[in-house]
Amino acid sequence: MDTVDRWQLPDGVDELLPERAARLEALRRRVLDLYASWGYRLVVPPLVEFTESLLEGVGADLDILTFKIPDQPSGRTLGIRADITPQVARIDAHALADDGVSRLCYAGTTLHARPKTPLASRAPVQAGAELFGAATLAADVEVINLMLATLGAAGLDQAVTLDLGHGDVCGALLAQLALPPAIEAAVFDALQRKSRPDLEAVLAEASPVARNALLALLKLHGDAAVLDRAAAELSPVAPAVGDALETLRAVALQVTAHHPGVDVYFDLAELRGYHYHTGIVFAAYVPGHGEAVANGGRYDNVGRAYGRARPATGFATDLKTLVQLQGVGARESAVPGAIAAPDGDAPALVAAINALRAAGEVVIVSLAGEVDPRCDRELAADNGSWAVRPRRGN
Amino acid sequence: MAGTLTLALTKGRILAETLPLLARAGIEPAEDIASSRKLVFPSNRPGLRLLVLRGTDVPTYVRHGAADLGVVGKDMLLEQGAEGLYEPLDLGIARCRLMTAAPAGWRPTGSRVRVATKFVNVARRHFAARGMQADIIKLYGAMELAPTMGLADLIVDIVDSGNTLRANGLEPLEEIATVSSRLVVNKASLRAAHEPITELLGALEAALPADGLAA
Repeated sequence: MDTVDRWQLPDGVDELLPERAARLEALRRRVLDLYASWGYRLVVPPLVEFTESLLEGVGADLDILTFKIPDQPSGRTLGIRADITPQVARIDAHALADDGVSRLCYAGTTLHARPKTPLASRAPVQAGAELFGAATLAADVEVINLMLATLGAAGLDQAVTLDLGHGDVCGALLAQLALPPAIEAAVFDALQRKSRPDLEAVLAEASPVARNALLALLKLHGDAAVLDRAAAELSPVAPAVGDALETLRAVALQVTAHHPGVDVYFDLAELRGYHYHTGIVFAAYVPGHGEAVANGGRYDNVGRAYGRARPATGFATDLKTLVQLQGVGARESAVPGAIAAPDGDAPALVAAINALRAAGEVVIVSLAGEVDPRCDRELAADNGSWAVRPRRGN
Repeated sequence: MAGTLTLALTKGRILAETLPLLARAGIEPAEDIASSRKLVFPSNRPGLRLLVLRGTDVPTYVRHGAADLGVVGKDMLLEQGAEGLYEPLDLGIARCRLMTAAPAGWRPTGSRVRVATKFVNVARRHFAARGMQADIIKLYGAMELAPTMGLADLIVDIVDSGNTLRANGLEPLEEIATVSSRLVVNKASLRAAHEPITELLGALEAALPADGLAA
């Protein structure tokens, strides 16, 4: 490597310089305080785990995102976490073994073997909250409200679109239609791309009932009117769809009661995490960002792989993305106007500096007489004692 | 970009067939795209502007949200993957086929073939599905030349009439996919601008010839 290239970071790997790093850390503290105030307890899962536990029951998507390295002492494979949620599910199922409701939260760096989306960071700082042991609607509503509160803490709660979907709509339909596995996989692929022509081609041989129901599903996205259309078009084919539609309706009502400004968008063909989620799925979108800024859903029984099946629901977000969306200057640097102090070891000076720092002030010692430009005040001798005054020439 | 939708068009043959379709849907560029050197055009439909791009770039623009919608050949979507995109409509225009082709009378002699193509991913998937190990040679044009000059055994390319193949001593072998132009939509745009996009999709769908719907 040429010396001129030594500064270069790998594709998709970024670093935060002081101003943005200060905003990220301030946000991390704010959201963790927020979660604590809702009763969520912090856990710190490890950076690496055996892939058997890291990837259990979460599907192929996470597998290809996970960096793997051999663990020489055990001969097993280690994965660097690409998602913290399964780690928290493991902690709840195995390490806590509490049968009641358990609320856990976390914030930490993850690593993606390839960017999840074009231009996405491969090292997101994931923060989130998970609620275990409650299978009720109220639990889903709580985590959605907490997700929206997280965006509020980042100052991004204007013009939020809340995306709601439910895997059982498509699930009940596919169960009822009992298509051959190869066709079902192709249907799945076409639904994810909302490709009507491809879906029509895949279903060329299928019964008219299956065709019409699945083609109808493609257009079932939009405002609450979608739920009525779905009831009319899908319920006759697969009555089980009704429960999922009622869940969506109830969740939307309760969330909008708390957050009247949030625009709710239903997408009944949304299949994100279909093999992992077991009920409602949700995501938050803000203007100017092509991907969801936070998402989550119900994932009951993932804990079974770790010894204990548990109802579970939760959400996660990338704090780096939130900080980036705040935009330059949206929130001032976490360093307030600082105080310049002269360099010296006189006990009175040292005591004055310590007292100011203990009171939350930023005191920067002028090592060689220079004054840091962030200082708007200075510590100066005044009649034998030290006092803070506006910086001269400022 | 609140309130303005951006539709990216693929230049060349696809553009020539897209403009009449847009006109039937009531959408006209504010000036003649063919004679202008501009790349961005306002349209007569309020809140809709048009971009003219190379086909390979259309999925990129739409995936990143730099354009909300795009018109692009299915061949590009097969090659680049449609992750992050919705592809709700087959516009039924610029129809052709993605095919393998080889010199007349060519038969595979070993377990490995050399394939010249600009559709690297499509070719790799196609030969893998047939259990054949393929060495892919990426070219940017004039695929037909590669077998003649001994660079490759086979090519994977778009075939319209097949005249170019025959003129170069090649014959079409297998069809990989039928291709026509698709309308693609950015996933976040569909949420943020659900109403105008649904309206636009409806207008385009109504403007399709009756046989243009089936792929």
